[in-house]
Amino acid sequence: MGNCLKAVSSSNDDISLLREATSIPRESSSSSEQLGPPPSYQETVNQPSSLPVYYPSPNVSRPASQLTEEEQIKIAQRMGLIQHLPTGEFDGSKKNKECAICMGDFTIGDPIRFLPCMHIYHTECIDDWLMRSFTCPSCMEPVDAALLSSYQTD
Amino acid sequence: MASMQKRLQKELIAIQKEPPPGVSVNPANIGPNLTQWIVDMEGASGTLYEGEHFQLSFKFSPKYPFDSPEVTFIGSNIPIHPHVYSNGHICLSILSEDWSPALSVISVCLSIISMLSSCKEKKRPPDNSLYVKTCSKNPKKTKWWYHDDNV
Repeated sequence: MGNCLKAVSSSNDDISLLREATSIPRESSSSSEQLGPPPSYQETVNQPSSLPVYYPSPNVSRPASQLTEEEQIKIAQRMGLIQHLPTGEFDGSKKNKECAICMGDFTIGDPIRFLPCMHIYHTECIDDWLMRSFTCPSCMEPVDAALLSSYQTD
Repeated sequence: MASMQKRLQKELIAIQKEPPPGVSVNPANIGPNLTQWIVDMEGASGTLYEGEHFQLSFKFSPKYPFDSPEVTFIGSNIPIHPHVYSNGHICLSILSEDWSPALSVISVCLSIISMLSSCKEKKRPPDNSLYVKTCSKNPKKTKWWYHDDNV
C-alpha cells in the first residue's frame, strides 16, 4: 500500500492499484474496467527503467517513489475519475474550434474528452492537466464535484 | 516540447497581431526557442502609472502551458505597487496556484494591467525589504500568501 504507485508497468495495473489505494466500492471499479484502458498520462509509463513523475499540484512534480501517502491516494483517485469522463471524436461542430490547451484547431476525428461543464479538449491535452489539477482550464469548475453530483442525481 | 513551441509560436503571432492596449513585443526580445520573452508595457492613461514604461520578463519551462510561466518586472522601472516587490517579483495568484493552461501571455498581461490600473496608492508591499533579502531568484519558488483581492 505504501508504494502503490511505484513502477507502473502496464496500463492495466492502474486499475488494480486504484482498487487497493482507494476504498471505491467494488461496483464502480468493475464498471471502470469496461470503459477500456485508462488514458496515457505519462510517457514514462512504458519505460520501466525510469520511475514515472507525478504532479500532486500543478507546480509540484515528484517521482512516484517520493509521493506521500496522501498524494498517492489523490493521484490514484484522479486516474480513476478521469476514466469516468466521456471521450469521443471531434465531429466538426462549429461551436468549438480550438483546444484551449494546445491552442491548435480541432480537426475531424481528433480524440477529445468532454468535461461535465461541457468544455472539450484534446484527450491528450486535458488528461495531462487533470493529472495535475482536477479543474476545467476554461471555467475553473472543479471536475470531480460535478462528477460526484451527477452520480448522486442518477 | 514540440507542442509547447507550437503554442508559443501561436501566442507570439496573436500578441503581435492584436496586442492588449499598451502592450508590445519587440521580436528582438524573444529568446532562443521562444522560451524567454520580454514584453513592453505602458502604464494605462488615467491611472497612477500613466506615461510610465515597464518591461516584463516571461520564462517558459518545457512543461508550459501545464506549468505557469515565470513572470517578473525587469529593467530600471519596476512599478511601485502593493503587489510588486522592488526586485520585480509579482504577487498574483494566476502566476502560481490559480494558473490554468487556458491562460496565455495575453491574459497574464491583461491581469497585470488591471492590477496596476486599479491601484489607488503607489507603495511597496509591507514586507518588501524582508522578502527581497530572503527570496529565491525564481518567484515560482515563493509560497505566496495573498494579502487582499482588492488591488
